Amino acid sequence: MNQYPMTVSFTLNGEKRTFATAPGENLLDLLRRSGLRGTKFGCGQGTCGACTVLLDGRAVNACLLFVGQVEGREVCTIESVGSFDKSSEIQQELIDGSAVQCGYCIPGIVMSATALMKAETKYDDEIVREYMDGNICRCTGYEKIWGALRRVLDRREASLAKVEGSGSKS
Amino acid sequence: MKLCEFIRPTSLSEARDKLRELGPQGMALAGGTALHFLQDQTTRRAVDITRLGLSFIRKEGDFYVVGATTPLADIQRYRAPDWTLHEVCRRIATHQVRNISTIGGNICRVFPWADLPVVLLALDARMVVFSDKEEEIVSDEFFDGQPTQRFADGSLLTAVKVPLLRAHQGFGVVKVSRNSAAFSLVTMAVSLELDGEVIKTVRVAAGGAVPFPRRLPTVEAALVGREAKSEVFREAATKADSDVSWRGRESLSPDYVRQLAEVSLHDALERAVSFARARNA
Ligand SMILES: Cc1cc2nc3c(=O)[nH]c(=O)nc-3n(C[C@H](O)[C@H](O)[C@H](O)COP(=O)(O)OP(=O)(O)OC[C@H]3O[C@@H](n4cnc5c(N)ncnc54)[C@H](O)[C@@H]3O)c2cc1C
Ligand code: FES
Ligand code: FES
Repeated sequence: MNQYPMTVSFTLNGEKRTFATAPGENLLDLLRRSGLRGTKFGCGQGTCGACTVLLDGRAVNACLLFVGQVEGREVCTIESVGSFDKSSEIQQELIDGSAVQCGYCIPGIVMSATALMKAETKYDDEIVREYMDGNICRCTGYEKIWGALRRVLDRREASLAKVEGSGSKS
Repeated sequence: MKLCEFIRPTSLSEARDKLRELGPQGMALAGGTALHFLQDQTTRRAVDITRLGLSFIRKEGDFYVVGATTPLADIQRYRAPDWTLHEVCRRIATHQVRNISTIGGNICRVFPWADLPVVLLALDARMVVFSDKEEEIVSDEFFDGQPTQRFADGSLLTAVKVPLLRAHQGFGVVKVSRNSAAFSLVTMAVSLELDGEVIKTVRVAAGGAVPFPRRLPTVEAALVGREAKSEVFREAATKADSDVSWRGRESLSPDYVRQLAEVSLHDALERAVSFARARNA
């Protein structure tokens, strides 16, 4: 019997793609068997956040999504954010701040932070906590991750405020 | 549960017809997050209902109408002076789960930890169910048993109508859990109406530590006509025992859970009264 009797098409990291799949397959399995291994399997039940990807810009658990649910939509994975050679600002800050130990949770954390930066312009602690409440780190105790996030978000908020300020002057 | 087909209807009536045709093999799929909790090995055909225009929040007459497939995250972010559902939605699961799971999915199959049934019972919400036509069902009837039975014939929930709070009315909810992604240990919700300092009407509902979310009529009776103050709340909360038997949870004894429930109920009453007073100020 054909293991993958149906197809699903969606935009993956900016590229239109079609995959052979099965109705019961979840997005995480599809991504990983297609070579995108940055998205991690932790719990498989929506509690750890290691599998976080963006669906139409929102952070979601790839382990909970059936492939059929993403048909025609836009998925972004950690591979679209940065790599070892070309890390994004948030990734670099996590490295520089020694906020990475085993690293397993980090792709999910970066994706949740990316969703936050895409959707919001103000980053008080309450909103950061809200966006990050689905990501568990078993190594670091969060302190250094939080510090790295705060530094990036504070810089970003300041630069967004500057842009807004300069706009209102002209 | 396993899926062997994924069907994407383009209209509500097409979804209903498909579910009718499939019978027990079919299953409405909203966020799909609850399927992972269903341990049985049955194979089902999923009918995706998230692309039928059922994701919205709007004010209509005396109600806020929330479309059945509105994600919890949207409900959490929505703001209006007498909007009551954001606080509890913020406390459900995680950011990622709230982005996918829907109000309909939370209440059409009630798990013991479900928070929205508790809140909707307290608020006296109406559920709009589409079969051959749309029918409104009051919360007491909708949650009088597992709602899945109601949908076995292919019917679908299309919206939830939450009554607008009028002057002198207030609402409060308290949820206790070990951490943000953990299930509720206790969820208590209260809506009430004050006449001066006296409680004129009240609805109290409990969830989490009970087998199924339900109202607490003995507590309600102990509150009506009484002054809205802490001693009265504390005394009324001790009556909850007559309405429910508390279950021990996550290594907590039933007696500890009972105390937790009483304190949470007291706090939910305090919040509802402050809410009512603030709106009248
Ligand atoms: C890690 C985790 C933690 C969670 N914690 C909590 C918590 O603390 N409190 C809480 O309340 N919830 C919690 N939830 C959410 C809850 O358990 C369910 O997963 C969720 O509410 C289901 O919503 P859904 O949209 O994904 O529904 P689905 O999984 O798509 O559907 C659930 C059921 O409802 C039926 N259904 C859905 N929509 C309709 C409709 N419109 N008409 C008829 N039938 C319909 C489906 O057929 C199915 O039987 C948690 C979930 C996860 C994954
Ligand atoms: S693997 Fe998806 S949340 Fe843990
Ligand atoms: S660094 Fe190991 S889990 Fe976070």
